[in-house]
Amino acid sequence: MTAAPRPLDGIRILDFTHVLAGPFATRTLADMGADVVKVNSVERAVATNDPTHPYYLMWNRSKRALSLNMSNPEARPIARALAEKADVVIDNFSVGVLDRWGIGYDAVSAENEGVVYVQMSGMGEGGPWSKFVTYAPTIHALAGLTQLTGVPGREDIGVGFSYNDHQAGLHGAVAILAALTSRARTGRGQRVDLSQFETGVNFLGPSLLDWFGNARAAAPVGNDLPYDQLAPHGTYLCLPGSGGASAIEDERWVAIACMTNDHWQRLRGLMGTPDWSGAATLETNAGRHAQRTMLDARLSDWTGSQSATTVMERCQAAGVPAGVVQTGIDLMENDPQLAAAPFCQPIESINPAIGQTFADRLPLHFSKTPCDQYSRVREVGEDNAAVLADWLGMSAAEVAAGEADGRLS
Amino acid sequence: MAEQEGALTGIKVLDLTDERGIYGVKLLADLGADVVRPESLGGDPLRARGPHFENSSLWHAYFASNRRFVAMDPETENGQLWLDRMIDATDIVVTCVGAFCVEQANVSAALDRRPSLVVIDLSSFGDSGPWKDYLAPDLVAGALGGAAATTGDVDTPPLKSFGELNFMVSGAYVAIAALSAVLHVKNGGEGQRVGISVHECIASCLEHVLMWYFYEDKLAGASSPQLPRRGSLHWSNAYKVMNAASGSIMVTPAPDFEAQIFWLVEQDAQQDLIDPKYFEPENAPLMIERVMEVLHGWVATKDAETLFHEAQERHAPYGWVLPVDKLASNPQLEARDWWADYPLAEGVIQGPGAPYRFSDTPWEIRATRSSAPAPLEGADPASVLADIGWLAEGDSA
Repeated sequence: MTAAPRPLDGIRILDFTHVLAGPFATRTLADMGADVVKVNSVERAVATNDPTHPYYLMWNRSKRALSLNMSNPEARPIARALAEKADVVIDNFSVGVLDRWGIGYDAVSAENEGVVYVQMSGMGEGGPWSKFVTYAPTIHALAGLTQLTGVPGREDIGVGFSYNDHQAGLHGAVAILAALTSRARTGRGQRVDLSQFETGVNFLGPSLLDWFGNARAAAPVGNDLPYDQLAPHGTYLCLPGSGGASAIEDERWVAIACMTNDHWQRLRGLMGTPDWSGAATLETNAGRHAQRTMLDARLSDWTGSQSATTVMERCQAAGVPAGVVQTGIDLMENDPQLAAAPFCQPIESINPAIGQTFADRLPLHFSKTPCDQYSRVREVGEDNAAVLADWLGMSAAEVAAGEADGRLS
Repeated sequence: MAEQEGALTGIKVLDLTDERGIYGVKLLADLGADVVRPESLGGDPLRARGPHFENSSLWHAYFASNRRFVAMDPETENGQLWLDRMIDATDIVVTCVGAFCVEQANVSAALDRRPSLVVIDLSSFGDSGPWKDYLAPDLVAGALGGAAATTGDVDTPPLKSFGELNFMVSGAYVAIAALSAVLHVKNGGEGQRVGISVHECIASCLEHVLMWYFYEDKLAGASSPQLPRRGSLHWSNAYKVMNAASGSIMVTPAPDFEAQIFWLVEQDAQQDLIDPKYFEPENAPLMIERVMEVLHGWVATKDAETLFHEAQERHAPYGWVLPVDKLASNPQLEARDWWADYPLAEGVIQGPGAPYRFSDTPWEIRATRSSAPAPLEGADPASVLADIGWLAEGDSA
């Protein structure tokens, strides 16, 4: 850990989250210096709760690890004592689990008036769906993101990764920081009920207003913009790469977005001002949009004889927005911006179970409190002694006794 | 009636963003921050973004909620004066490189004068490097950031996510940066600048993409450091949108595969899934593949809505694929009284509610901060700043 100050130094977070959304919220805060104590147990440390699982490795760096067997009622007073010392308590269980453990908001806030208590459940507290079980693909489907991200006539594509998990995590972090800011003014904490479903529906803001105002239901539009008529605006096949594990991995694409008439004129120039491109009907955004199928075919002919990188560089040099459709390999090996940051870095402290692990950096560059050092994921209970000494003043003997009798396991 | 206090009541923000950062300032504004958004005398170009209701941009009504708008020309002496005064009065300045007033905003000098100031500098690619000046609207940002390569199907091009999802990620990071830096000030630290690259923001939120690259050797079934686009099929192979007899549904046997198989057995639809080989731990990938195959045929005979509710009764995380019109009458959103009223020049329209609910300091779309009026209407900088208490002592309105 670096000794340099970070913006959230001194903030204590008791973290009962699991899978992605909750752990991403607390990872973000831990990267900025908060003392995040990740609660796990030997019993629960399976699948994505296993500290050696790649998913766990991705979202739980920079935290300290405490093992608490919450199925043992004798362990719960320790959790209660920790919650009473915490600035933030956060979970993403179904509503009511922490109440059953005796560390619900009412119980904790009675002793800890300043606590910020965040519950990141799928559906929020109350309502006919409050007990529904959700993962990000569930939320994408229910929130309209699956239906709308795709091509006309299909609703089985959707966003190709768990977008809403990341965003629920980021919004959880925003909520925590806002509640802490409020506490700095009032001295009081409060409860935050984050429904990941509502966070997801929120992302369709303009389309929802359009429905209520104009009774127009948004529809999937491929790579077009849903409300603004622009063309060309899409992804175009270029010369293939090589060495991929399958044909689709060798496909190379470039995105080109003509947002203005000027962009189009510049793109025409790059293409050598072919005769067809001079048609008067192509001089306006609306005119090009009406003929976008033809335009896309012509543009594909042009990009198909060049590498994606060449098209991007030529377009950008001419003032036309364009970019390679980058894969994970591109991001890590071919992207000069990310390399210069550096965006990806090996974590200095070696994971004893895994060996070398890696961090993608927090994309926030603080000028006076840099947050560019990350510590490895810790094993279940690895920090029991340190955490319980720091937060509760427990002695090494008390911790050892708890580990021996199974409370701290 | 006095407005209820929001979590960020008392925090002043100067909003010099474009579409890349405007969502972040919305998050601050909707939580009660006092936000001023200058725009040109000709009006903010984002007011032209569709969809529209009569003459109002619904895009702008959503993303520029809860702002005070001032119309000004920063190239004039008076405009520069007011810009300087707003910067001196604010806690946070949020900028997007190239946005209105950013070039004229003397934030470095302001930081020298007032060390508690927080400045957020959002750009597409950061302030250095070979792509620093690249143009990147949402489609291009998503392509270069890695989102498009994993969205789409084998028979479609790589796809952009609907709407503004890429810039909503950079927006969320803007709010996190601003609030973290402000908390640091409240805890006795200094103000500072925080640089944010949209490109890095998008790359940081790709779920399995970087995991696949970092830990390919530890992932069962991974044969390459990347996983190409493949429709809705999740990287785990255990989540997929399937077409039902009516409607579509996201189907998954995870996390309780045995319960899913038992459900199929109940309906005599299990085919060969009770073969003991599928229950051997080393055959887990084979079992997942076969369960998904069987589910395809089974789901095709079902009504999506009915199946969704049956699955949730069994604690299986299925998700009915809903369009916008179905969301508008969703019983969960209705029961939680989720929707909010957005003020427009032409009246009030219902729209999205809070992304989170605070027990003591409500999130709110405030009618007193309409985004609808034309920018020149009541938008003299002096009167606006006086109205919200931004004028320093001795300044004249």
